Amino acid sequence: MIGSGIKRGTGELAILSVLEEGPLHGYEMARRIEAQTKGALRFTLAALYPMLYRMEQHRWIRGSWETSDNGRKRRCYRLTPSGKKKLVPLRKEWEELFGALKRLTKVAHA
Amino acid sequence: MPDWQKLVRRRLSGLVLEPAERAGVIAELAAHLEQVFEEWREQGLAEEEAIRRTLSQVEDWQDLCRRIQTFRTKENTMNDRVKQLWLPGLLTFALSMGLQELVQKFGPKPLILSLGKGTPILMFYIGWLLMLPLAGALGACLSKRAGGSVRMVLSSSLFPVLPFAVVFLIATPIGLMIGNSLAHHIVTVAFFTMALGWVLAPGAALFVGGLLVQLFLSRPLDSRRIANS
Repeated sequence: MIGSGIKRGTGELAILSVLEEGPLHGYEMARRIEAQTKGALRFTLAALYPMLYRMEQHRWIRGSWETSDNGRKRRCYRLTPSGKKKLVPLRKEWEELFGALKRLTKVAHA
Repeated sequence: MPDWQKLVRRRLSGLVLEPAERAGVIAELAAHLEQVFEEWREQGLAEEEAIRRTLSQVEDWQDLCRRIQTFRTKENTMNDRVKQLWLPGLLTFALSMGLQELVQKFGPKPLILSLGKGTPILMFYIGWLLMLPLAGALGACLSKRAGGSVRMVLSSSLFPVLPFAVVFLIATPIGLMIGNSLAHHIVTVAFFTMALGWVLAPGAALFVGGLLVQLFLSRPLDSRRIANS
């Protein structure tokens, strides 16, 4: 079972990565992440919003209310300059971690 | 279709935030649930089943309420800043002042810079400057342990000279303007030497300590953050 720390780390990376493509509201974000990871990462409302609020508190993302074409009000999130900076080392750290785990499992199977 | 706003408001009744903030959170979560519900309906589910599946997005509303409360309360941002900047910074400041007192009382004589006629204009306590990297390292270490960013870590180590830097940034242009009609070369020299003694030299020493902490502690802490974040 994947621990909560790992889940949160991957969640933050996923959110920052999809927001790098452009602003999204929470529901779109969850759908986009699910689609791009082919269902490997799924965000329920309970998992997504505390994480978004936490990231907003760290000023990595910024939310603002916008009205869509169909008149619905949605809170859209966008990456801040601080979030863009955060994404670079975060990606590197996760690449290193997955690379290390991959090497480890290869050694274990050898 | 259920009134999602009403439903969320009822289930998050324990959420204590500013009224506008609370209304915003409720509206946002309700809009999300509404879209999930519509998606299930578009897939052909009966209304009751769609509601049941939509509500399965949240297993424990009290836990959600508690977590939202934690991250939407402005106090936490302040707490982070206090832990990552103000506290380490003030401790660095106190330590650097304490060290200066000790060096002045018990240390070797200061190095005195003087103008051509022998008027002393600046005293360098070399012993103090050599110990300052320790103070800078302490501030950086405390900030790093509190999860401070590189900027916070280095600001904490440089904290003791920051007020002087601000004063010089303001005072230098004013001094030069005044000095323009007086003896401007003396004013410029005086500002430069004072900035060197009060800001640049101690700042460089503090920065060395902070930078070393940043360089040596960043790798293991980053790995730990992956697991603990």
